[in-house]
Amino acid sequence: MNDFPLRLRLQRAALVALLLGLWAPFKVAWEQQISRQQDEIRYHGLVMTRELRDGLGQGLTIGVLAGMRSVVADIIWLNVTTAWENQEWFRMGGLINLCTSLQPRAPVFWDMGGWHLAWNASVAAMHDKDQPNELRRIKASRFWIDKGLDVYKRGIENNPEYWRLWRDTGMLYDQRLKDYPKAAYYYKEASKRPGAPVFLERFPALMYDKYHGNDDQAAYAEWKELWERLTPEEREMKEHWKEKIENNIRELERKLSVPKEKRIFPN
Amino acid sequence: MIASLHRILIIGRNTLTEAVRQKVLSVLLVFALIQICCSIFISQLATPDLDAAGLFTEQIKLVKDAGCGAIGLFGFFIALLSTALLIPQELDKRTIYTILAKPVRRAEFLLGKFLGVVLLLALCVALMSLAFAVTLYWQESIGLATVEASYGTAGDWQHNAHATEMHDNDVAHIISQVRDPQLVEAILLIFAKIIMTAAIALLISTFATSWIFTVITTFLIYLIGHGESLARIYWLAHGAETTIWQSGLIGLIALLIPDMNSFTIVDEILAGHQVPWHDVLNLLCYANVYVIVLLAVSVVVFDYREL
Amino acid sequence: MPTKIDLHRGGKPPKPVDSILGPGNKGGLGQIIFRRYFLENLIRQIPNSTAHPRWISAKNVIGERIDVVVDCFHVLYFPIGNRGTITKIKMMETSAMAAPPLAVETIGLTKRYPLTWKRKVLVALDHLDLQVRQGEVFGLLGPNGSGKSTTLKLLLGLIVPSEGEARVFGLPPDSLEARNRIGFLPENPYFYAFLNGDETLRFYGKLCGLSGTKLEKRIEELIDLVGLQNGRERPLRSYSKGMLQRIGLAQALIHDPDLLFLDEPTAGVDPLGSVQIRDLILRLKKMGKTVIFSSHLLEQVQEVADRVAIFSLGKKVLEGSLESLLTVHQSTQVLIPAEMTPGQQDKLRQFLAQDGVDEKEIRFTRPSLSLEQLYLRTVQNQPDAVPKDQPRP
Repeated sequence: MNDFPLRLRLQRAALVALLLGLWAPFKVAWEQQISRQQDEIRYHGLVMTRELRDGLGQGLTIGVLAGMRSVVADIIWLNVTTAWENQEWFRMGGLINLCTSLQPRAPVFWDMGGWHLAWNASVAAMHDKDQPNELRRIKASRFWIDKGLDVYKRGIENNPEYWRLWRDTGMLYDQRLKDYPKAAYYYKEASKRPGAPVFLERFPALMYDKYHGNDDQAAYAEWKELWERLTPEEREMKEHWKEKIENNIRELERKLSVPKEKRIFPN
Repeated sequence: MIASLHRILIIGRNTLTEAVRQKVLSVLLVFALIQICCSIFISQLATPDLDAAGLFTEQIKLVKDAGCGAIGLFGFFIALLSTALLIPQELDKRTIYTILAKPVRRAEFLLGKFLGVVLLLALCVALMSLAFAVTLYWQESIGLATVEASYGTAGDWQHNAHATEMHDNDVAHIISQVRDPQLVEAILLIFAKIIMTAAIALLISTFATSWIFTVITTFLIYLIGHGESLARIYWLAHGAETTIWQSGLIGLIALLIPDMNSFTIVDEILAGHQVPWHDVLNLLCYANVYVIVLLAVSVVVFDYREL
Repeated sequence: MPTKIDLHRGGKPPKPVDSILGPGNKGGLGQIIFRRYFLENLIRQIPNSTAHPRWISAKNVIGERIDVVVDCFHVLYFPIGNRGTITKIKMMETSAMAAPPLAVETIGLTKRYPLTWKRKVLVALDHLDLQVRQGEVFGLLGPNGSGKSTTLKLLLGLIVPSEGEARVFGLPPDSLEARNRIGFLPENPYFYAFLNGDETLRFYGKLCGLSGTKLEKRIEELIDLVGLQNGRERPLRSYSKGMLQRIGLAQALIHDPDLLFLDEPTAGVDPLGSVQIRDLILRLKKMGKTVIFSSHLLEQVQEVADRVAIFSLGKKVLEGSLESLLTVHQSTQVLIPAEMTPGQQDKLRQFLAQDGVDEKEIRFTRPSLSLEQLYLRTVQNQPDAVPKDQPRP
């Protein structure tokens, strides 16, 4: 039972309206500022699209709305592992898509997802007994490699600072697609990222070495650039492998018959 | 003024004592701690890292997500339930009459009860964070042990410079992911979100007739709050294009409902990305001011409430 | 609005008010000694000039009612308004007995509850005019739902009146100063069940502003006073009803209030405990405190109260001192310590009839103990229980 003199009730309503009314414009302005700040970090905010919602189902959608996006993504990711074990490749691909859509800024999904597709799925396709002939198998395997590549590349788009994605793409080009120039490019980018292991800086040059001896010029350019990039102290440091670089440069200089004045190691 | 704060503190401590001496709370807390610790076992279900590529990133990510998720979820429930019951319990048991017969202002009473809830939540979050830290450390030791094992089998690797480098790299990778100082930011943000939930529940409970109403309404506001940023952006950009009703409704959401989605920046922190401290402080200040506004309105509404 | 000066018994000086002797003269009371004729006028109208400072009511030149104090040296102390000096006081009225400010005063106090379903209005309290003086023990009687609890809640500031005004020591009931001087024992004591006796008293004591050793000493005193030594360590949820009443009394008294509201103080308490509570009330009265209590146990009310008010359906139906209300006029009781035979009774009748007393209305009865006295005598082994009708010592 609530009897309050009308005067007091109006007073209360007025006070409440005043407090909220003063706060509302500040609130909106502040929230806008925070959103802007955060979008820079998030890079790609999550927009709950129709496909995403369908892919998630009702329960998980509520989970996402309740702010448990990462946990939902993790749960879905566990299913990726199961799909891999059961060799359900298309289902796996769909789930990987879902996870990466939910958390585009979690590099692990792109990284592992790409790996599952480009390596596991493609190798399985290679040995797939159900395919009638070799050509079909190669085609199927190539299909999965392309899918994996796509995942890697989109992952790089979303997480350009994450060195592993660059490295893994490079590795894919290097070991499966045998496309050494591209591999060299990706390895180079990878070595520039924070946290990349030091030995990656040698990989571009090594790629050109591997390039069936067809492009000694490019190889030489790479080695030279590497040598020149290092400061005198760094050259002495063990991890920069001074001897190896030096040997390679010497050999290439000899092979390419670089005139003595232009050589780094004239003798 | 000092006397006023003193009374608020007394009521706050009393509320905390009451909550701590209740069994229900311990049960919830135990569940939370169990979940956090069990995330270790779930993490082992993730892709066993065959190569250096993932290097326990998945497992560590799982532990982090599950841990912070548990703190957020259980913290949310503890905040919601304990705050929703605050005033109705006092009214039902009529203990409020005895207190208000003493020289205590209603505002002091309300703020004191809220302070008790805040202290309770701080305690719970601290305990859960401790469990979280322990679990993370456990995951780290599993990871490191496995790395040692895998390198151990490759023969005499210490002398191979390349392998040493890789090994050190892997170890550093694991440790940097686990001992991420930004996790403190994450915990603080989760705490702020929980306190905001409590403040909303307090406001609703000052005029609600039953605690169930408070729980449901607060839960709804919490959910709508996650979409508030979309509503606000849409309203500011396209407000003039919609009908007056739609515009009014969306506008109402934008003006009154808090932006819960801004707290999901925690996901970024858990994914390992850099979130600068001053962004976090900005968000914490926003939450702080919002809570103060909610408390002020609660005090006004409660002052005029019939007992 | 002039402020009141509180009279403190026991020598603690009141808070200083602005002095009229000049703006720089803070501290101490403003005082003025009136010109002689005016003073004599004043004194003539005060019947018993005793040594104690006394309140008298007066009106100032613009007709505002103010309270002034006359002390044993016939010096007037009066509160200063914002306007500075008040040079003339026109004595308009004095009370025959110097009237201390009323402990409780309600003027037209009304509380209505609208019943939204039935579109009717429930009048819980209907224009109550009540005055309780300081130092009185006042009983509120009436059936359930007659407005007693509503009155108490209004006087405690827990609810807001629809009409009218309530004042406690001249202050609004929801002010902190008023509540500092009030102690409240609720019906079905409402305390936190998870605290034990000590903690409860400590909690309420701290809320009243007590602390430290002073608080601890006070807790010891009260525990002794209400007799709760063996229960102080146990949580309140394990207390019996009687123990709850006791702890309730203790917390009501913790800050030594001047006014006590007791809602059904002896409900559910055994007769021995009842007697103890009754004695406590009388002791409090002797200390000068005011007690307002409501009870259904009419016997007990009769033993303790000075004045009572009877409520019914939200209205105060009857009010007055027990003596004036209960005395049956036009009759006399005589106690004869011997058994009278019918013959003796007739003789007495005739004797009185000669003086004009109506024979037929003379009744001879056997005096009897009250059940309470019998019980107490049995339980406490009191050989000299007093029969009911003997006048109180």
